[in-house]
Parts: sequence; C-alpha cells; structure tokens
Amino acid sequence: MALSSNKTTDSRRTEVNDNPVAFTLTKHNAWFLWLSQCLNILTLVTELDNWMLGIVALSLLWQALLLQKRSDGTNAAKKGVLTANPVSTDIVVNKVPPTLLALFAILGCLAIVLTAKQSGLLLSMVHLLCFSYALKSFELRTRGDFYQLILLGGFVLASALIFKQNLTFSLIIFTLLLFNFSVLLQFFSSAESFINNLKTTGMLLIQSTILAVVLFLVFPRLPAFWQMPIANSAQTGLSDNVSPGDIAKLTRSTELAFRVDFNEQKAPDYNQLYWRAMVLEDYDGKQWSRHNIYSPQQTSKVDENLTAAYLNKKKINAGLTYQVIIEPSYQKYMFALAPAVLSGKQAGIIAMPDYTLLSRKIISQAKSYQLTSYLNEPLADNITNHSREINLSYPKSSNPRLEELASKLKEKFPEPQARARAILATILNENYAYTLEPPLLQNNSLDQFFFETKAGFCVHYASAFTFLMRASGVPARMVTGYLGGEYNEVNSTEQSQRKGHMSVYQYDAHAWSEIWLEGKGWLRVDPTSAVDPQRVNTGWSNQLLQQQSELTNDFITLYQLKKNAWLNSLRLQFDALDYQWTSWVIGFTDKRQYDLLNKWFGYMKPWKLALIIAVVLIISMAFLMCLLHFVHRGKPKAKTQAKWQAIYEKALTRLTKLGLKKPKQMTVNGFAKEVRQKYPELAISFTRLSNTYNRLSYQALSWEEQQKLTLAMAQQYQDLLSQLTKHDKNNVN
Amino acid sequence: MVSFSKIYGFVHIKSFFQYKFESWLTRRIPQQTEHTLNSGNILIYPTRFGLAYLFFAVLTFLLGTNYQNNIILLFSYLLVSLFITVMLHSFYNFSQLNIRSKASVQGYVGDTLYIPVTISSNKVRFDINIEFSNKAFGCAKETVQQIQPGQHNIKLSYNTVQRGLINLGRLTVYSEYSLGIFKSKAILNFGHQALVFPKPKPIISKHSFEKSQLGDSNTEQYYINLPGTEDFAELKSFVQGESRARTAWKQLAKGQGHFSKHYQASYGHRQCLKLNDMPGNDIETKLSHLSFLVCDFTAKNQGFSLELSNNKSQSTIKVDYNLGVNHQQECLTALANY
Repeated sequence: MALSSNKTTDSRRTEVNDNPVAFTLTKHNAWFLWLSQCLNILTLVTELDNWMLGIVALSLLWQALLLQKRSDGTNAAKKGVLTANPVSTDIVVNKVPPTLLALFAILGCLAIVLTAKQSGLLLSMVHLLCFSYALKSFELRTRGDFYQLILLGGFVLASALIFKQNLTFSLIIFTLLLFNFSVLLQFFSSAESFINNLKTTGMLLIQSTILAVVLFLVFPRLPAFWQMPIANSAQTGLSDNVSPGDIAKLTRSTELAFRVDFNEQKAPDYNQLYWRAMVLEDYDGKQWSRHNIYSPQQTSKVDENLTAAYLNKKKINAGLTYQVIIEPSYQKYMFALAPAVLSGKQAGIIAMPDYTLLSRKIISQAKSYQLTSYLNEPLADNITNHSREINLSYPKSSNPRLEELASKLKEKFPEPQARARAILATILNENYAYTLEPPLLQNNSLDQFFFETKAGFCVHYASAFTFLMRASGVPARMVTGYLGGEYNEVNSTEQSQRKGHMSVYQYDAHAWSEIWLEGKGWLRVDPTSAVDPQRVNTGWSNQLLQQQSELTNDFITLYQLKKNAWLNSLRLQFDALDYQWTSWVIGFTDKRQYDLLNKWFGYMKPWKLALIIAVVLIISMAFLMCLLHFVHRGKPKAKTQAKWQAIYEKALTRLTKLGLKKPKQMTVNGFAKEVRQKYPELAISFTRLSNTYNRLSYQALSWEEQQKLTLAMAQQYQDLLSQLTKHDKNNVN
Repeated sequence: MVSFSKIYGFVHIKSFFQYKFESWLTRRIPQQTEHTLNSGNILIYPTRFGLAYLFFAVLTFLLGTNYQNNIILLFSYLLVSLFITVMLHSFYNFSQLNIRSKASVQGYVGDTLYIPVTISSNKVRFDINIEFSNKAFGCAKETVQQIQPGQHNIKLSYNTVQRGLINLGRLTVYSEYSLGIFKSKAILNFGHQALVFPKPKPIISKHSFEKSQLGDSNTEQYYINLPGTEDFAELKSFVQGESRARTAWKQLAKGQGHFSKHYQASYGHRQCLKLNDMPGNDIETKLSHLSFLVCDFTAKNQGFSLELSNNKSQSTIKVDYNLGVNHQQECLTALANY
C-alpha cells in the first residue's frame, strides 16, 4: 500500500514539472484501450496460429489483471490518506519487470521465425504485428507509447482487410476503427461519457467520408509498387482431386463461391447452369485428379485458337455475355459456362483447352471477369491420341464387378450413347438414393457403392458412370464445378426487369461426367439427373435442405432461413447489398475508374484529367469546410434541462403526493408560501430549496457557483425527502 | 573550434528567427487585457503524433496499392480525410474562446503568485491548456479538461525567485483536442507583470537596530506608539488612506470637516528607515530587513520615511514621511525596483 501511495505522489510531483515519464490513463480509458486491443486482434483470429492466439490471450489477460490490481489499489488509496490527492483516480500504468518482458518478446520472435517457413512471409508479419501489439501495452510509459499503440491497432485493422473484404467484415473493421479513435478521443475528453465520445468520433468519421469517397472515386489507382507476399490462407471450395464423398462435405458450407451478373439478359435455365471449374482426367482407383500436360506457352496458343474459332461462330449464334465475380478461394481455378470465350484481353486469366479457366495468381480477393458463352455449341470435336489414352485408362481389376457390367453393356449396346442411356436408366429404375450422408466405402470402392450401398452424392454417380464408360471403351472424364445458383432480384427495378444477379454458394458444388463421341465431341452427361432430377432442374429438394440443416453447425441454417419468408427476404436484401459492395467497391478497378471519369467528363487528355481530379478534391474540401462552419456556427442546441431544474421538478412531483400541486402561473415563492401554510413541518427545507432554485434561475452566476449551488440544492432536496418520510410516518401512526 | 563556430552560427540564426517571430507576433497579436480567439490569432499545426498518423495513412495506402485492395485504399483515404476533418474540429473547439486577465500582480520573493485568468465560452470545449510562453519560469501548465458554457476562473501560478518588476511575457493557450493530431495554439499578450518585493526578513535583535538609530540621529527612543496612548498634538485634514480610528468625530459631526487627530508621539520621532542602517552584509539582506520594517510599521500604523542611498551612483531614492497602506505600497515598490 505504501508503495502505491508513493507512486501516486511521485506522479503528481513529476506532472508539475511536466515530465513525460509520468503518464497516466484514467481507469475507464485504460479499460477501453484494453477492450479495443482484444477486438482488434479478434479480427485476425482466423489467420493466427493457435500458439500465437494463446500468447496474445495470455498477455491480454495479464494486462487485465494488472489493470484490476491498479484500480483496487487506487480505490483503497482513495479511502486512505490520499483523499485530497486529485490524481489518485488515475492509474500509473504498470511496471512489469523489463527482463521478463524482454525474455517473453525474444521467445515470441523466435517462435515466429521458426514457424515462418510453413506459414509464409505475410502470415509471419501478421503474427509479428499482433505479438508486438499485445506486448506494447505493457510499456505504456509515455504519451507517445499510447499513440503508438493506437496506430498499431489501426494497422492491425488494415492488415485484417488483406484477408477478407466482404461487406460484413468491412463494416466490422470500420466500426472498430471508430471504437479505436473513440478511445483516443477519450484521452482528451475523459470527463465525457464514452457514448458521447463514440458519437463525436462517429460525427468526425461521417464528415470524413465525404472526402474519402471523393478520393476513392477520383484518386488514380496506381499499379502495385512492389511485389508483396501473398496470403496463403486455407483454400476454400473445390479441390484438385476428388474422391466420392468429398463434395457432399463441401455442401455443408453456405459460403458464397461466386456471383454472376447477366447484364439484363435472361439467365439460362437452371439445368443449363453447369459452372465448369475443373476437368479431372486421372483416376487411380481411389480418386480423380487433374492431368497436367499444358505448359503456359502451349496454353496461350490454345487460348488464341479457341478464341478465333468461337469468334467465327459468333456470327452464326449470338453468345451470352456475363460477368463473373469470384470470391477469394486461395486457389487458381475460375468458373465458366462451357464453351466460353473471354471478352477482350483480360490479363491474368488463362483459357485451358478443356474449356476451364485458370487464374495466373492465387485468387486472394474478389475478382471479376467477363465471358461470352455459346451454350448451344458443342465442345471441341477432335481428340488427341494422348488425350484418348488418358480418358480410357483405369486401374485394371480395381472394380471387377463394374468392369464385368461394362463388358456386358458393351455387348448389349454397341452404340456409346445408347450405352450411356442404359446406365442412367439402371440408376433411375433401381432403388438408388441421393444423399448428403453417403455410407463410407472401403478403399473408395465403386463396386461397393454401385452394387451394395446404392446411396451416394453426385461424385459417386459421376465416378461410377465415368468408370463404366471408360471400362466399356468410351473416353470419359469427370468434371467438377457448381450447378445452378440463386437468382436475387432485389436490385431489379420495374424499368429493367432483369437486373438482379445470381449467387452461387459452396453447397451448389457438383460433379458430372463428359463422354467423347465420334463426330459430336465431348458431351455432358449428368448421372445425378437420373437419381434426383429435381437437383438438376430446379435445385435442392426440401429433403436435401433438411438433411443439410441437420449436418451443419450454423446458428441459423439455410433450411430455416428459406422457410421463413421474412428472414429469407432479409437475407436476399443483404446479399444484394453485399453484391453491390463487391462489384462497386471491391471491384472498382483502374479501368472502371477510367470509364467512370470518361463518362462524367468525356474523353480527355491525362493532364486535363489530373486537373479535374485536383479541382474536384479542392471543391470537396471546401464543401467540408463550409459544412463544418455551418455546423459550428449554427444555432446553439436547445437548452437541455439542467440538473437543478430536474431536482426542483422531482421535489414538485414528490409534493403532489401530498395533494400539493403548483399551478403553472404560480410563482416559486408563492408556492413555497402555500407549502409553509399547509405543511409547516416542510416549510424550512422547501423554502430553502425554492430560494436556491430562484438564485440559480435568475442570478448571473459563474460555472463554479452554479455547481456549488446545485450541490447545495441536492442536499436540500435530501433534507426535504427525510422530512417527508418523517411526515408520512407520523401520518401512519 | 570549427564546430564551435558552427554552433555559434546556428545559435545566431536561431535567435535571429526567434527575434523575427517575436516581432511578427507583436504586430499580429498586440497586448490586450481581453482576447477572443479567432483565425487571426490561432496557430494550428500537426503535432508529432499527427505526422506519425499521416505516415500511418501513407503506409496503409501503400499496403492497399500493393495488394490492389480497394478496401484498404478506402481505409487509408478515410484516415487522410479524418486528418483534415480533425484539423477543422480542432479549430472550432478553440475559436471564439474569450480569455481575460488582469495585467499585474504583486508579492514577495519566494511567494507563489497566482495570476487569475477568466475564460468564457459559449459552448462546451475540451482540453484547454494555459501556460506561460516563457518556459524558463518552470511553471506548471493549467489544464481544463472540459469547459462548460459560462465563465471559468483559472489561476496560473508563478513562483517568484527574484525581486523587481518582472515582465511575465505572453501566455500560451493550446489544445490538442480532438485526437491529438493537431495542436491549436494561441500566444496571447496580456502585458502581465509581477511586482516582486524583497522578502520580509525580521531583524533578530531589535536592540542593535535601536542602537544604530540612536547613534545616528541622536533623537528620542524608539518605542511602539499605540494610538491613544500618546498626547494629542493637532488636527490635520483627512488624507485618503489614514486610519479612521484617528478621525475627529466631534468635528465631523459638527460639520466642521473631516480631520484626523495627530499625536505627539508619532509626530515627535519622524522615523526614517535607511538602507545603510540595516544590518547585514549584502544589499539584498538589507532590503529584506527594510521590507520587514515597512510592513511592520504599517501594521502598527506608524509613520516613517524611507531613504535608499546608492553608494555607487551617489544618488538617493527618498520616500517622504507618511503612513498607511498606500505609503507601504510606495515604499515596497521602491524596494522592489532598487
């Protein structure tokens, strides 16, 4: 105790000398700072390793304990000798042994360096940032440290945006920014309540958005100055290899995969929406995987050939042009309705000869591209020998019963298309089930699925079908992607009837087959259509949705959402909003900016554009100044009821219980007289109260005097109350 | 040697700029007893934290550009525009503040003098700090966390160390509200002066003083004369500052005029306090003793004259025989300025 009292007196003395060493935060401010730290780090919680989270949590907990101890200490000090000390409510920010802290810091850095290789440069940097942010709070010795902590917090928030940019997350980040600045503001106006500080900061930020939006629209988008380490977060969505049962797991996720904007054209029918992602040609008896034979040079050639071929056809058959906005998946594959051609030159995207699209870089943030699809055109009708060989191969005697069936079918149906139809008929007629919870297969045996369990999801059927076709001598391959999508018409207006967008979620993931027929080329066959036609034609059946809602851990499942019309429309509204955010804010590229500026100001030379940008910025700044000037010079706010007025009102309401009511036209003194006459025992206390009220109302008093009188009035009110209770008691007796 | 001259040159340049700044300030913000803060006298500039903040905004801009991440870019634009908004807010928190202060204070060496400053505001303001622009005084700044509409009285303390008429210079009023990014500052000149008297130092043995008095002027003994114990001598017309106890009420009641009674004792020994008669070796001690005697005599309502001779310049400052508070003031001022 003696120690802490020493500290407080010390701090006071040094404060007089304006020594920066004695830096204090008020109790509230220290706690809010702590809270802001916790929240800031929470935004990165999915990116941080568990050990780092442990360390951060530990240091924050420690910090909380120190704060708790300090406030206990100061409370005790208040009761004790130091009552008169004005700074006793302040907290002298802690002193943890520096050697311990240094040791902790060194160990942490060592751990980060050791794990750097596996987590990558960016994540290591993020770890380091969070670590230093958590430790910095132990060293709040000067005001500069406090400032540093606030800026570090801001940087934590900014770096969290590297990983996620959707509307919800962005809103969270900007709200937290508001919170952080409120903590900073509280340092300068600690007498105000935190809510008021939040309001003030909110006002500041709202006023700042004017200029920020203008900057966002007109400030030139610059190319990256230097290469930055990319985020290699956990991949989401489809993977490069697929075994039966894989996609069924993916369908539990209600996350967004990508969105499509058909630009006021009618969207194709549901059963046409086969979003192609990957073609899997290698089968090892357990899983399907990609066959990599194309080098980048080859592919660019292929790309050009394909484009040329389809551009010729364009004259015959108008294509469907649409925009795809892909969510970050941390993978490279992209989506298209095959056969599709990229509209114009779009850097960073490779069109593969199997009609899939690949991004050159890992997709780490929402990215949009434009495509033209020719849905009625067949896929390429030539096949190389190498390709034929691959698409016919299967590990011999991996599934003997299917092989046997395949040879039987080959005899019975020599024509490949008829054979395929026969297989689908088998699936349709026999008692096969389409389920999200397929029974486990030993060694991923297709035999077991086809002849014993007879229950599976899309991959099971596509695998078995592809296997049967290959075994019977028809080149066949597996294609994965998404099927369908949800059309959201919230944004559509009456003038333009179709201006909604289509959202495709992870649960729309699908797998189907393609067989190669002489003269017809690659033909899509979806065995799922045989077992669950509804899935292919309109989407998920209620039964599947129910099954999904049982399997997911989501708080509100998709099934529940879709059942409740009100919630569903809310969900669609939000989805539409998020779409606008993605396409207008996240997808606001330099090209779009240039188009927009051209649209507004017409085509012009760069220097003219620069001039316009400068003028726009100056105008908006001037506007901001005028606005603020108006706000601050405007009428003063209507006077709120002062504390003493409230006290008098309270006294009046208390007196009405005795049957005394003050008419509006009666003066305060007149009413006091009436009270004196009717209740002499209340006379003294109420007259005093009335006199003070009169003084406060009609005398010109300085702020301190007002405060003093208000305090006196509160005391007089208490006296009156005690008199009243006495009076009541007497009446009861 | 080279480095020394360089430093010397640097100091020279610095003092030159300081001089220029001072003269500019004098022209810009003239001496007044009341100042209202407005765009004419407010200086506003980013603090070191403000610069760090700007650096942080640029850093996020780089981050956003390098990742081609629009949200981070938006974030950085928001930070930059907040910088400008806060500048304006900082200004509006500060302007229209009215500050008044009395020009001069007085006290004894070693006392802490309090200079009252009245701040009046038309709205709620935050974080107003006031201090002397002259940092050499080592005086604490006064901070008002929150100013309510109305008047506020603040007392700036000044620890006196030296006797004389001290020019306290300008007052610096500043605020780092709202986020500490900007500092709004006004350097106001109220013409503050502190008149500091020598610290009264009692003469330990009164005897030595008496002796020297006796030896010097060969007149009557020194003893305390209380009003009423002496013999009445004459009536003189009332002089402002004289004790009412001596008023000749009879004459006043009769309407003959306002007279004061004067007694023989106080008339007889025309006490003269001389610097050279004071014990002690240095001038300051002597002045301190004089200061004590001046206060002591006034408290006892005894008249005296003061004579301060300067050995070097052979000149003498004289304060004629009188008594009362005004006389005390005159004498103390003479002592302070000696």
